[in-house]
Amino acid sequence: MAQTSSVDPRVPLAIEGLSIVYGERRAVDALSLSVRPGEIYGLLGSNGAGKSSTIKAIVGLVRPAAGRVRVFGTDPWIDGLAAKARIGYVPETSLLYEALTPREFLEFVASVRGLPADAVSERLRTYAAAFRLDDEMEEPILTLSNGTRQKVLLLAALLHQPPLLVLDEPLHSLDPRSVRIVKELLARYVADGARGVLFSTHTMEVAQQLCGRVGILDHGVLRAEGSLAALRERSARGDASLEEVFLRLTEEEASVAEAVRSLERPADS
Amino acid sequence: MSWRSAVRLSGVAFQELSLQAIFAFRQGNLPPTGPADRLARKARVRVLQSKAIISAVLALLAVGGAVALRASPRIVASGIVPAGLPPGAFTAGVLTGLLSLDIAFLWWTGLQILPTFLASGVLPVLEPLPIDDRTLRRTAGLLYLRLFDLPAATVLVATPLFVGLAGGLWAGLAIVPGTIAAVVFALALALLTGRFFVRRVQGARGGGGSVVVRWAYLVLWVVPAFSMFAFVTAAPAFFRALTAIATSGPSLAGGLLFATFPFALAALPAVVAEGTAGFSFPDGGLVLLGAAAGYLALAGWAWVWTMGSVRSFGLAPPLVPAPARPARFRLASHGAAYAVLAKDLRIASRTPGYAFLLLLPVLDATVIGLFTLVFASGASAALALALGAVTTAALLATFFGPAFFAIEVNAYAYGRTLPLPDRSIVLGKLALVLALYVVAAGLVLGFTLVKVFAPTVFVAFVAAELPAVAAAGLFEFGVLFRRARRRGLPIVNLYAGAWTALLVSVPGLLLAGAPILLFHELSASSMALGLAGMGGLALVECAACAPIALGRGMR
Repeated sequence: MAQTSSVDPRVPLAIEGLSIVYGERRAVDALSLSVRPGEIYGLLGSNGAGKSSTIKAIVGLVRPAAGRVRVFGTDPWIDGLAAKARIGYVPETSLLYEALTPREFLEFVASVRGLPADAVSERLRTYAAAFRLDDEMEEPILTLSNGTRQKVLLLAALLHQPPLLVLDEPLHSLDPRSVRIVKELLARYVADGARGVLFSTHTMEVAQQLCGRVGILDHGVLRAEGSLAALRERSARGDASLEEVFLRLTEEEASVAEAVRSLERPADS
Repeated sequence: MSWRSAVRLSGVAFQELSLQAIFAFRQGNLPPTGPADRLARKARVRVLQSKAIISAVLALLAVGGAVALRASPRIVASGIVPAGLPPGAFTAGVLTGLLSLDIAFLWWTGLQILPTFLASGVLPVLEPLPIDDRTLRRTAGLLYLRLFDLPAATVLVATPLFVGLAGGLWAGLAIVPGTIAAVVFALALALLTGRFFVRRVQGARGGGGSVVVRWAYLVLWVVPAFSMFAFVTAAPAFFRALTAIATSGPSLAGGLLFATFPFALAALPAVVAEGTAGFSFPDGGLVLLGAAAGYLALAGWAWVWTMGSVRSFGLAPPLVPAPARPARFRLASHGAAYAVLAKDLRIASRTPGYAFLLLLPVLDATVIGLFTLVFASGASAALALALGAVTTAALLATFFGPAFFAIEVNAYAYGRTLPLPDRSIVLGKLALVLALYVVAAGLVLGFTLVKVFAPTVFVAFVAAELPAVAAAGLFEFGVLFRRARRRGLPIVNLYAGAWTALLVSVPGLLLAGAPILLFHELSASSMALGLAGMGGLALVECAACAPIALGRGMR
């Protein structure tokens, strides 16, 4: 487990001892991890494991109860503007100004980020064409499908080419074509060796294909972290898929088997 | 399933609606810490507070109507209404005004909260459940009624009660049909216009031409709110016309008046007391009773239509025009404060509840400007009217400031992830308030110059008041921003934010109004002194309020 205490400004993301508490419930407990330059880091976990809470603490939506988050050495809870300027964020739900069109929304984001109009327009046209969004740029977001909204959020996150992308289930509403494009795009995005991507997902296949390292969160605690090979070794299953590794490390194999058996039993038995 | 199921389901749905209205979870806001039942209770209490404020205004209207009826001899003697106005016609006129205001206020309330009703998504959640069509329709209808329950009950109870206290038992009973019709028509109008505007305006495409169409629709949206002001403004002319009709004997105008809503129902208490003789229009009884019966039948139909239409309204998506040919789009990039201003205007252009707040001061200024142009006799009268119009614009622009803040929290959670400084948000919204004031004042100036070419005093008055408008805006936004940041509570709509809005709006009104009061005190001796005193006080206020919105604690 990465117990880094580094505040190296070249490290895209460093989390140390992060705890998040909602009332009586501890959603994240003493979490430490880092995203290295040039790395796509996959954050895996069941529903309610603490993935989205962790991400919300990184982007400044949830104040940590303890611990620190550093984005290229900057704490988003101390110098929020500087940290947020370096992050591109895709939330798990489509948090958009629904009364705006995608063009109006992206114009707002570009203005807030102080991006030059010509360069950003050219970049946006390229992305919009790739994701086949041209037809919907002047339709109110309210009327768009979930998948299209997700694409708009991806464009908003990529608009300023941030050195850190924080993506919370970014593929869940996308069509297969767009999923493929995003996977290719992310792989190329970190190829410069300086940028980083934190990526939360339930989809083990995607994490297996895309992520250099993964962290497995379970009930707010980081159960394991490392490359797929390292995790296979740790779970003593040399040829296992990431899904099998995940279930073993979160000690869910037995409960899955029991749940399947219970479903096979007649309801009245 | 039964009515009992519908009542139970609508109660659960209303709890969800209250939660969404107060905490805006669907806009990505995170729940404040604390047990779920405490959040639910807090949401219920806040919605109830807002309903109570609206109901208090409606009760005050009823009290005002009753006071006018009791004081009718003094009012006639004072010359406020023409001396020849028969008492019966006076009663009918006052109650016509009261019912009109009730309808306008309930209609306006409905338009303000309908977008939240739709955004909460409570009806689509019920739809896939194994509930029969009739129960779903009843549940939707009851849910809609719950939005209006306390205000509507206030109209139904307070109006007959106070009219009864002023005019006797039979007068109180005779106004009951009128209040029922007023409530039913207001609910139906809110749904009918809400459905039209929400579907047409929210689904409208972006781009130049579409903006004009959207704002044209939105001007119509302001009509119910504006009718509240219009009736008060037009009351003297209405009573003059009423006197002429009531004293001229049978005429086509009299027949039309008796057949007009809400006069036909508002005249019933007077007719019960003294027959139609009080109108000097002996044959009018048949017309009046026929019209009253017709309006009650129409109200019955409107009730059935409303209760049956809420479900389809809650599920209907905005109308989306056929896709346009893709244009080669280009993003314009501006400063952060300008971006906030442009975003708010764009959101308002598809959100009738917010557009209303922007259009009201401008339309008010237009009407008063036209009034000046047509009726003001002489330069001093025109100037007085013009300064009055500017005062109204200043007060309206600052009174509704909190609502501009509300637009920010439509997607508050996403906005908080952007590197958007607090001060840029405040400055963007302050620019909106100042722009409203300047546009409204400019319109008045335009009309006034046609009548009297004396712009110096007028422009000096507008300029002297400008820092006071800024002070009110800075105070309101500063307090609201700090409060929202500290408590994580968004202010999303009339019901969610009425109490908080009131909390800052009243001091805001005082800040905007104090220099004007000083002007009136000082200008009696010297216009220059009045303007100087006004400008000086406004500047002091602005300097004092700036740190609240732009000082320490704001990033």
